[in-house]
Amino acid sequence: MNTPWGWLRRRRRREREWQDELDGHLALREEWNRAAGLPAEDARRTTVRQFGNRLRTLEDVREVHVRRWLDDFLRDVRLAVRGFRKSPTLAAVAVATIAIGVGASTAIFGVVDPLLFRGLPYPQDQQLVSIGYFGPVDNNEFNVVASYLDWRREQTPFQSTTSMRVASHCDVVAGDAPMRVTCQLVEANFLRTLGLSPAVGRDFTADDDQPGAPRVALLSFALWQSRYGGEPRILGQRLTVDEEPVKIVGVLPRNFEMPQLGPADVLLPERLDTTSPRPAGSSSFLRTFARLKDGISPEQARTRLMPLFQQTLQLDVPKELRSEARLVVRSLRDRQIHDVKLASWMLLGAVLAVLLLVCANVANLLLARAAARRRELAVRAAIGAGRGRLIRQMLTESLVLALTGGLAGCGIAWALMRALLALAPDSLLRDRTAVDARVLLFALAASLAAALLFGMAPALERPRAEALAGSRVAGAARTLFRRLLVAVQVAISLVLLTGASLFLRSLWKLQSEPLGYQTDHVVTASFTLRQQRYRPAGAATGFFRDLEARMKAIPGGGEFALSDSIPPRGSMGRPYSNMRIAGHPPLATDGGMVEFRWVTPGYFRAMGIRILSGRAFTESERQSGQSPLILNATLARRMFGGENPVGQQIDLEQSGKWCPIVGVAADTRNNGLTETEPEYYRLRMDDAAPPRSAVAIFRTSLAPATLSRWIRKEVAEVDASLPVEIGTMNERVGRFRQQPRFVATLIGLFAGFGVLLAAVGLYGVLSFLVTQQTQEIGVRMALGARPRDIAAQILAYAGTWTAVGVVVGAVCSMAVTRMVKGLLFGVTPGDAVSLIAAIVVLALTAAAAAWIPSRRAARVDPVVALRWE
Amino acid sequence: MRKPDHLQGTLELLILKSLEYQANHGFGITLHVQTVSEGLLRVEEGSLYPALHRMETGKLLKGEWRTTENGRKARFYSLTAAGRKRLAAAENNWTSVAKGVRKLLRFA
Repeated sequence: MNTPWGWLRRRRRREREWQDELDGHLALREEWNRAAGLPAEDARRTTVRQFGNRLRTLEDVREVHVRRWLDDFLRDVRLAVRGFRKSPTLAAVAVATIAIGVGASTAIFGVVDPLLFRGLPYPQDQQLVSIGYFGPVDNNEFNVVASYLDWRREQTPFQSTTSMRVASHCDVVAGDAPMRVTCQLVEANFLRTLGLSPAVGRDFTADDDQPGAPRVALLSFALWQSRYGGEPRILGQRLTVDEEPVKIVGVLPRNFEMPQLGPADVLLPERLDTTSPRPAGSSSFLRTFARLKDGISPEQARTRLMPLFQQTLQLDVPKELRSEARLVVRSLRDRQIHDVKLASWMLLGAVLAVLLLVCANVANLLLARAAARRRELAVRAAIGAGRGRLIRQMLTESLVLALTGGLAGCGIAWALMRALLALAPDSLLRDRTAVDARVLLFALAASLAAALLFGMAPALERPRAEALAGSRVAGAARTLFRRLLVAVQVAISLVLLTGASLFLRSLWKLQSEPLGYQTDHVVTASFTLRQQRYRPAGAATGFFRDLEARMKAIPGGGEFALSDSIPPRGSMGRPYSNMRIAGHPPLATDGGMVEFRWVTPGYFRAMGIRILSGRAFTESERQSGQSPLILNATLARRMFGGENPVGQQIDLEQSGKWCPIVGVAADTRNNGLTETEPEYYRLRMDDAAPPRSAVAIFRTSLAPATLSRWIRKEVAEVDASLPVEIGTMNERVGRFRQQPRFVATLIGLFAGFGVLLAAVGLYGVLSFLVTQQTQEIGVRMALGARPRDIAAQILAYAGTWTAVGVVVGAVCSMAVTRMVKGLLFGVTPGDAVSLIAAIVVLALTAAAAAWIPSRRAARVDPVVALRWE
Repeated sequence: MRKPDHLQGTLELLILKSLEYQANHGFGITLHVQTVSEGLLRVEEGSLYPALHRMETGKLLKGEWRTTENGRKARFYSLTAAGRKRLAAAENNWTSVAKGVRKLLRFA
């Protein structure tokens, strides 16, 4: 067989022979010179002089052979191009198919490559891990100061550990221009642990990181460029961060990325207080990262860290949450892409399946062509073309097709990638994706692999002597191979189709399932009060009172409410087991977290949330000093079962303050669009300080743009420096549907293309079959077969091979779709409806593809058929 | 396309002629040329082998490994049918070129 290895071995053997030949010459010459009477030393020297540079000669010899090979190759290419010019339709179809296949897979590869394969922008990035507690409190692992300090002191598996606080907005004044940016508070060794150093200036030192040390900052490269024009003399200059003076000591590298991928305009030392005693409750949150020691895996590190974790768990985590907290040590890559990893792999898999279908189709085309050229090949073999020579020519033909298609595919990939990025929900993709050498290399590799795959089939066909006689007997094996190819195509496209129908059903459910709140005509304005300005007692309550009065007065503003958060995002939540019901036994301890929101009485009307029993809050209650509660249906059911909750009293956090339940509200979907979680609502009281973050909600008939101008004007009159983010509820909710829609759209496209390819493949095989059997059909018709029988036979034939494909495909889709369970909502991987829908679509397409050839077979005229040939 | 080269053409003729009656290896060809021409002609050994390989891939020569009379392995070249045809053509060509040059020299 002509394997690359065999080729390489032969190539090396020949190289050795050339050397042996030259060395033999030298030996003979030396012998001759000695025989002529020269002393041994002189004989050798003369030999070398006479011969000249041995290596140079060897080089020349090699060139002769390379040029020969190149000439042959170019001749094959010319031959192939000439051949394809004779059948331009076939060549065009093949090139276009390959272009689409290579283009689509290159585009998807380009998009997922930075997520799945490419290194993160840190030296030895595979050593970096994210560590911490994982619990129902947050979607990512976190740490608390007291635990982290213990871990940092006593851990063994890491070279170093580092930490950062959860990011916050900060108000920076650089020169005299105020701006709101993101400040990240990090440990002094943060950059060093990541393996980075500042582009300009110095890194933080341990001294900078002491509580009470003079404040210093690192600026992001972008901020340095935009605010200081890349001026290196900024070192030592001052900056005001949240009204405190800070000295600039350095600039971050240009392509710096935070390990958790948040924005970072200014880095400040976090200045953890290592001396203060362990606080009784949970202390403040941290994100913690570490660099593994050489040769230690994240799993090993986790095992080694486990005793420490158990110890600090007892000390720092509230009793009620301990059973639900786990230790997480995972690679930084996993931390960054956890929710798109599965989707990325799936898209890559799907597009490679499409590429396989493309190969199968082109192989089919080439086989049909080879059948038509059988006589030509047999003639060439008969006049002495070696088998290797013929294989080479066939492979060259495939290569010409594949590379032409691949070149066109690069163009398609470029366009597709731009389209994908425009559609993509994740800014992560936009920041990292680029068409570069890796992506082009993938396109080349994909084209070459495709060429090998579809080129092998016709190349391995041995030209038979019988073909010289124009007999149609030869090639039975080939049609079997082609039929199998069709079955494989049907199977692959069934898997794609089942996946697509699962995702479309899932998307449909996501769109149609009631959210529990209104999204039309709802406009929201979110803002966060600055800490410094609103620190004095009463400042925040005064602000909110003023704001509420102004907002309510906006003409046409409709229903208005204030809350500290709104769905589909959840709030932080409190442990379920901390709550008590008056006159009831304690609650179960494994209830997880309960979300809650601080709302004004208009909240339920503005959001369109139904009150199921009891009543909504009233304005008069806000001065009552009582703290009324409304539960959502899930929480009410969980706490009270069948009992009526209205009128009962609850102590929320074992504080001894009993709150009356005044109503039960309908469930809303939170935390994305898929989950319904236990939740309660508290009334924003007139005298209590509300949270600093707030959302103003309007259910209005005004156009959002009009309302937005009003809102900005009113807010500016209360606090001119407060940034407000205004959006519609539809936009907010839409963002959560973007990823499922993106995935479903792509899979749908791939499946559609896959089915089309399978149909074309089936059509091709059947047409070929009909042409090949024209004579036979003619004989049967002459003997009395009706056209209907002939057509039925062709259809039955198509049906058999489609059925084989469907059975195999159904089994495969069962296995494959199970892997994407995590991406589905409201449907299970084994969903019969999706599978049946896929089979029906496929069967109908196959029937349509088989219809035309079967009609043609039925119209065969026996007289013409028998004379044919 | 390769350009026809007079020196190369000459070397090719020498090689073809040396192999007319018997197969020989590269060193044998250099010796043959030198002895028969009584030392007037010398084949440059560095360019002999590329020429041999080019002629072999061009199907003018056939090469095979054999043992010399003193027990060494060497690659022996012999003429193919195409090689003989080429030799006849090259000899004709050379004779007419030589005749022409001689006439020219005599005239001057």
